[in-house]
Amino acid sequence: MFFKQVWRNAASNRKDNGLFFGSLVIAIVAFYTLLSIGEQDVVRFLATIESHAVAKLLQLIPVVYMVSLFFVFFLVYFACKYQMDSRRREFGMYLMLGMGRGRLFVLLCCETLWNSLSALLIGLPTALLLTEGISLATAKVVGMSIVGHQFSLSWNGMGWTVCGFVLVQMLSMMILCIPLGWAEPAKLLRTDAREGQRTACKSASIFYFAAGMVLLLTAYCLGIFQLKNFEFSVVTLLVALGALGTFWLYRGLGGFLDRHIRRTSRDQVGLATFTRRQVQENVLSQHRALAVASLLLLVSLSCLAYGIPVGVGQAEGQGAAARSADFSLLETAEVSESFLARNDVQEMIQTAYPVYLGSVSIFDPDHPEQYDGDGVPVTIMDYTCLERVAREVGGDEAAQYPWNGLFDYAIPVSTYNRVLKGMGKEPIQMEENEVAWYTNGDHYTVGITALLEQAVKRAPTIGINGKEYTFLPTALNDNVVADRAISLQDALVVPDRLYAQMVQEMDRTMPFCWNIRLSDQLVNKRGLMLAIQEMTEKLERAGVQNYDSYLKGMGRNLFYTVGISYLTIYLGVLFLLIANTVVGMKFLIQQRKNKGRYATLLLLGAEVEEICASVRRQIEVFFLLVLALAAVSSGAAVLSLFQSSVRGIFLGISSSFFQVLAGGTLLLFAGTEAVYIWVVKRAACREVRILDPTDRR
Amino acid sequence: MNTTDRILQVEDLTKTYGKGDSKTEALRGITFDVLEGEFLGIMGASGSGKTTLLNCIATMLRPSSGRVVLRGQDISAFRGGRLANYRGKRIGYLFQEFELLDNLTARENIALPLALHGNTARQAEGDIQRLSALLDITDTLDKFPAQLSGGQKQRVAAARALISNPNIVLADEPTGALDSKNSKTLMDKLATINQEEQKTIMMVTHDAKAASYCSRILFIQDGRIFHELRRGLGGESVAAFYERIVTVMAQLGGGSANVL
Repeated sequence: MFFKQVWRNAASNRKDNGLFFGSLVIAIVAFYTLLSIGEQDVVRFLATIESHAVAKLLQLIPVVYMVSLFFVFFLVYFACKYQMDSRRREFGMYLMLGMGRGRLFVLLCCETLWNSLSALLIGLPTALLLTEGISLATAKVVGMSIVGHQFSLSWNGMGWTVCGFVLVQMLSMMILCIPLGWAEPAKLLRTDAREGQRTACKSASIFYFAAGMVLLLTAYCLGIFQLKNFEFSVVTLLVALGALGTFWLYRGLGGFLDRHIRRTSRDQVGLATFTRRQVQENVLSQHRALAVASLLLLVSLSCLAYGIPVGVGQAEGQGAAARSADFSLLETAEVSESFLARNDVQEMIQTAYPVYLGSVSIFDPDHPEQYDGDGVPVTIMDYTCLERVAREVGGDEAAQYPWNGLFDYAIPVSTYNRVLKGMGKEPIQMEENEVAWYTNGDHYTVGITALLEQAVKRAPTIGINGKEYTFLPTALNDNVVADRAISLQDALVVPDRLYAQMVQEMDRTMPFCWNIRLSDQLVNKRGLMLAIQEMTEKLERAGVQNYDSYLKGMGRNLFYTVGISYLTIYLGVLFLLIANTVVGMKFLIQQRKNKGRYATLLLLGAEVEEICASVRRQIEVFFLLVLALAAVSSGAAVLSLFQSSVRGIFLGISSSFFQVLAGGTLLLFAGTEAVYIWVVKRAACREVRILDPTDRR
Repeated sequence: MNTTDRILQVEDLTKTYGKGDSKTEALRGITFDVLEGEFLGIMGASGSGKTTLLNCIATMLRPSSGRVVLRGQDISAFRGGRLANYRGKRIGYLFQEFELLDNLTARENIALPLALHGNTARQAEGDIQRLSALLDITDTLDKFPAQLSGGQKQRVAAARALISNPNIVLADEPTGALDSKNSKTLMDKLATINQEEQKTIMMVTHDAKAASYCSRILFIQDGRIFHELRRGLGGESVAAFYERIVTVMAQLGGGSANVL
């Protein structure tokens, strides 16, 4: 009898509260996805080459998991409260019929456990499917031949998911049961759970609304103009101003809406005034929840806006197209040449070539004695024209940049063309009076890369030893060595003859390294990862110690890609989920508390569909109030991002691809919101349709 | 009596809840008329069927059989939009618990039935002011229900019931949640409206004092009309009518003739 009752109540709870149950399933999926990250193909692959970094990432997971649990606790708490409120009468009846409070508590705990089990039974298989999908998709983006795919089941992740989820459920249920233990049956039996109508104090609401606006605007300005290098003091002040501004704005909004409604209500027909008053009441009584939800949505948008470009953009940058060389041998010419001459090595390689690059011997007017010796070239570089053009493009920002010494390194065009040839690209055509700007786009000074990109389009010149050389109109950024992480920040690609004049004897005659590109046939046959491992073994056996491989550099970059994007996207999705569920649940709780109003409206002549339209409008406005501020704040956050030093994350992404990414992220966000709004509307209208005019209490 | 004087006709009304063994007959064929400008009281013991009768007339419940004819139209057969058009417009309601929407001001509450039927509060400002003055709630119009006393709330509810100039006002225990002073004030106001504005009122009540303001009272027992009292034609006083009501109630509620 007892277990039958538990089973029946739990089923009824799930049916009545699909929104909450769905959110729980998504929370389980999110937990498992996070906790099983160590079993992902990409991470397993990374662990073989970057074990230290991966270990650090895996140490971070429990912290993120605890943060997630903390937020999911609130989601579960609100949802359980909603269910408990709607069952007060039932609990009162149980007590009146002689059920002990202890037994009632056990009943509720059993129901919670049963519902948890149901959510886990749906959530865990879904999570497994999703993680396999993510694993496959990531492997595909990175290159299936590189990573490989293997089905994996994280028992550890599954165990922690179950423990955390059940713990959060039981804890919220216990906290909610405490007031139930004190409540008198008569109080529980009284179904009217309406709270007294809150009225907004006029002067207080004006103060909070205005102060909230001022604080938020200050935070936006601070973010856009002062957040260049993420100084701790600026970030702390910004977060404090933003959060307080958001809370105060919502606190004052109720009074603001009240004045607006009073001004316009005399000219309204239908349920317009009622709808507005409902929204106002929700704002007055739920202003803290609205502020928290809006801030969570802001964090969610920021996480997604950061995580998706980092993940997709860098993964794109790391794809097969970016692979210029598979190995760079940093040994002496004799060691490198003898290794490359071996037959078994020759069979494996497509091409091998020396890479020349050297530091420019720049003339220092303060120490002219350094250049007196024979054979030491003296290079005097004149940035006047480039600086002038850059100033035309970038104004004051360009004026502050130290132009002298921008190009410390030079690369002969023949070397760069060998790199391009190895990649199967067309070589660049460079005249004797031309140079090109090479960059990896990773400037510390904000905005300089974009500024230089604009400047070289205007074909400025640079003076080298008294002669003017014109810049080719596009920047070059294909790696000249195998490991992207050791590529140059800036260099000048110059005609070979000029190169010989600019660098020292050693750099002119001795290659910097030897690049090796493995044969396409071998890569297609064995996969890039195995092919590189095979060559690595040969190098090790031959005693070649100093070399970099494409895989090593890629591993380091992949670690950042996977680590940062995975965690930020995870947190983004989780916050999105929690914010929407909190807003939805708050609305539904309030609606259920005030269902008598809807019954009265029916009696006063309102049609059911008219009331449903009002409810739908209330939901739209309620969500819009949260979304609008989150969207404005996100806009300011994105502007801040473009002004700050993390702007670099977008550099590897073409503008059209960036637009696709931004559009995709926005669509994902808007789609999620639309689904939530639809689900809440459906639940709210169902409540209205089953209303009986006699059911006013 | 001219049929045009009959604003409401209740014809052989029955209402049955449940099926088979659990069947309960709440109304067992009730027939009566309400005349224009009449102040009709419905009294009876708990479970006698008086609230079911009011709910059937108020279109809150659909009768099992019989007809409720308001101004020549059978409103018990109405559905959807036609029903909504009658509620709040042709019929005004007054409830024991006021049923004001507590997030609307008094003025917005009063104007709500008008807004639901396509009129703005501005268009009805004159009527709002007149009713407010009549019910002594002019100073409370911009307040929320939480800022009003019980008596004020019920008078705001009365203004809401009257604002769309309905054919009949149905009141369900309107003094049930009020103290004796506020009950008297409310009944005085309702009686004034009934007499001066010829507004038809049908009131269900337990309270003999409230019932003594009526011009006619129907007593219901076990779903049937058991007795009818009319105020004396010669201007019978409220006190005298009250005495007669109490006597009937004593008989209904367990007078010596009814001892089992």
